[in-house]
Amino acid sequence: MLIQYRRSVDEIRQTLSTTNIAGRPLSWYLGGWRLGIFFLALALIFPWTLSDQTLVVDAISIGIYVLLALGLNIVVGYAGLLDLGYVAFFVIGAYTVAVGTSGFLQNSKGQTFTIPTASFWVLLPIAALAAGLFGVLLGAPTLRLRGDYLAIVTLGFGQIVPSIFAYVPYFFSNIGMSALPPPDVGPITFSDPLNNLPFYYLTLALVVLVILAVAALRDSSLGRAWVAIREDETAAAASGINLVRTKLLAFGLGAVTGGIGGALNAAYLKTIAPSDFNFDISITILIMIVLGGIGSIPGVILGAIVLRFIDVYLIGNVSNAVQTNPFTAHLLGGIDLNQSKYLIYGIILVLMILLRPQGLIPNTRRSRELAGIGASVEGASAVGLLAREESESVETAADDQGSTSEASSFAGAGSDAQGREG
Amino acid sequence: MAERTANDAVINGAAAAPPTTGGTLLHLAGISKAFGGLSAVDGIDLDIQQGQIYSIIGPNGAGKTTAFNLITGVYKPDTGSMIFDGRSIAGLSPDRVLRRGIARTFQNIRLFNNMTVLENVLVGQHIRFPSDLFSIMLHLPNYRHAERTAIAWALELLGFFGPEMVARQNEYAANLSYAERRRVEIARALASNPKLLLLDEPTAGMNDAETADAITYIQQLRRDFHLTILLIEHKLQVTMGISDRIAVLDYGRKIAEGVPAEIQNNPQVIEAYLGRKAEV
Repeated sequence: MLIQYRRSVDEIRQTLSTTNIAGRPLSWYLGGWRLGIFFLALALIFPWTLSDQTLVVDAISIGIYVLLALGLNIVVGYAGLLDLGYVAFFVIGAYTVAVGTSGFLQNSKGQTFTIPTASFWVLLPIAALAAGLFGVLLGAPTLRLRGDYLAIVTLGFGQIVPSIFAYVPYFFSNIGMSALPPPDVGPITFSDPLNNLPFYYLTLALVVLVILAVAALRDSSLGRAWVAIREDETAAAASGINLVRTKLLAFGLGAVTGGIGGALNAAYLKTIAPSDFNFDISITILIMIVLGGIGSIPGVILGAIVLRFIDVYLIGNVSNAVQTNPFTAHLLGGIDLNQSKYLIYGIILVLMILLRPQGLIPNTRRSRELAGIGASVEGASAVGLLAREESESVETAADDQGSTSEASSFAGAGSDAQGREG
Repeated sequence: MAERTANDAVINGAAAAPPTTGGTLLHLAGISKAFGGLSAVDGIDLDIQQGQIYSIIGPNGAGKTTAFNLITGVYKPDTGSMIFDGRSIAGLSPDRVLRRGIARTFQNIRLFNNMTVLENVLVGQHIRFPSDLFSIMLHLPNYRHAERTAIAWALELLGFFGPEMVARQNEYAANLSYAERRRVEIARALASNPKLLLLDEPTAGMNDAETADAITYIQQLRRDFHLTILLIEHKLQVTMGISDRIAVLDYGRKIAEGVPAEIQNNPQVIEAYLGRKAEV
């Protein structure tokens, strides 16, 4: 089956390079930014091709998830730091806009008081910076941690931050905030529930901006430093890379993007409550990345689109079909597929890891890492992070034994010999 | 010294230039490091002159690699002082040590395997890139200039190891032969223009031909890049052939130091190092 699949992939490649359109091979049109511009044009005209605006609403929610996935991809995909608490920055961005635009806070006695308000457009960069600051602050204590320990601590932060907003009275506790002022600018109104185009284009603009920024980062000295750290921290440090700064930049920049997503989400929904920001969101974004392809920008975007599509359309429609068919309705009894979203996500994740661990549109380097090329351990774990980093921490532990410092270099020599054969 | 030059001439087939000596470059005094009560390095003094090729030898477990890790900031020394180029480097993190001008290679080659040869050497020049985010994200002129300069310098460095290395610039490091990987690792270390290059067993795992080749380029490195080289090496062919001075470590202590001829005839060394090796 795999060979057949490979063959068909080769055939497609062959077709792409031999089929000519207007004197150029098809593959030329599919290269990098040309395809990007095509999709951008498509996204620009997309709302005008519809008779029904519900798809625009869905597109906005997809756009917000794309932002979040691109941001988390900096941390997980580029720097290789498994962050399970990404929702924290989403919350911070959302609350910055909510508090800032409404101007309401509550004191400890439950009395509302007002603070000066600002426009969404002023608060958007502030939300990004605030989230970025917290990204650095929350990143700092995790710097010495690797793999699963890092995941656990970030998971904790992801629980703590929304809880603060839920339990601290200043932010209206569990009730949250609603009726937030829309980010209207002159004649452009964002408050018309029947016209979502302003939000659609705002989301699109932010997505394009973030894609450009993330691509520039990936192709920069900082992007190379992240790869180097992912591959070998010791060698990266010996090459002059400041590990603390480089990792914190990944956390910070990822958080900035999360903050932008949160700010946009709050302005769009005009209401926020702490219960909207739970672990599910962190995990959903992570699944988008794994599904699409860790470290790959088009992959991550596709992952977000596919997962939202499954969530919004597939599950709903399948659930309806199941419930209307008397046989399947009887078979499933009272089980509501809408409630089984995470079961379905789980199945998708397991299937992806088994059949195509590198994701739908893989990042070349990441696929090589997953295939275990040049890795110090055989085989790769699910996300491809844990096993590698564990093995590194084992190595470090051995180094720290001191008496075995020479012995460990001995072991190193041994693994080198293996590497040479392999 | 005369002996070294003679060896140079034999290996290179050409008269070797005398090393440019001038003052102490690296001075270690009483450096100690213990791991959980077991002392890996115990009061080592080293004095490395500018332009020297200085070798550290010793049996396995003698503390050679630990000494390297102390100099490069991987470990912090418990006691003692380390002065490099007139300033203390004790307690600096590895990236700061590199910025001061000390670059290293590893005994078990530590290349970024899923990066290309060129990318590996570019990572070695990380400190030459602007560090502010705006320059990086917007690829401002100062960033682009740094990138162009870095690529040109990387290709020049690869060219030092032969045209075949330049031809392989876009090959993943994992796909290289063992000897090629060693070269790329040295190129990566050289990329930052260090004053002092630390080579941890640069010929480990190499056959005789590859070793002879490595000896040649280590000597050329010193000449062409005005380097001082500190070397850990097991092969006597290498250490005796190219070292200006040799220090012998055993059980974390320096038991002897001198020019190769002195070391070869030192009874303590023969007992501790050569003798024990013969038993094995």
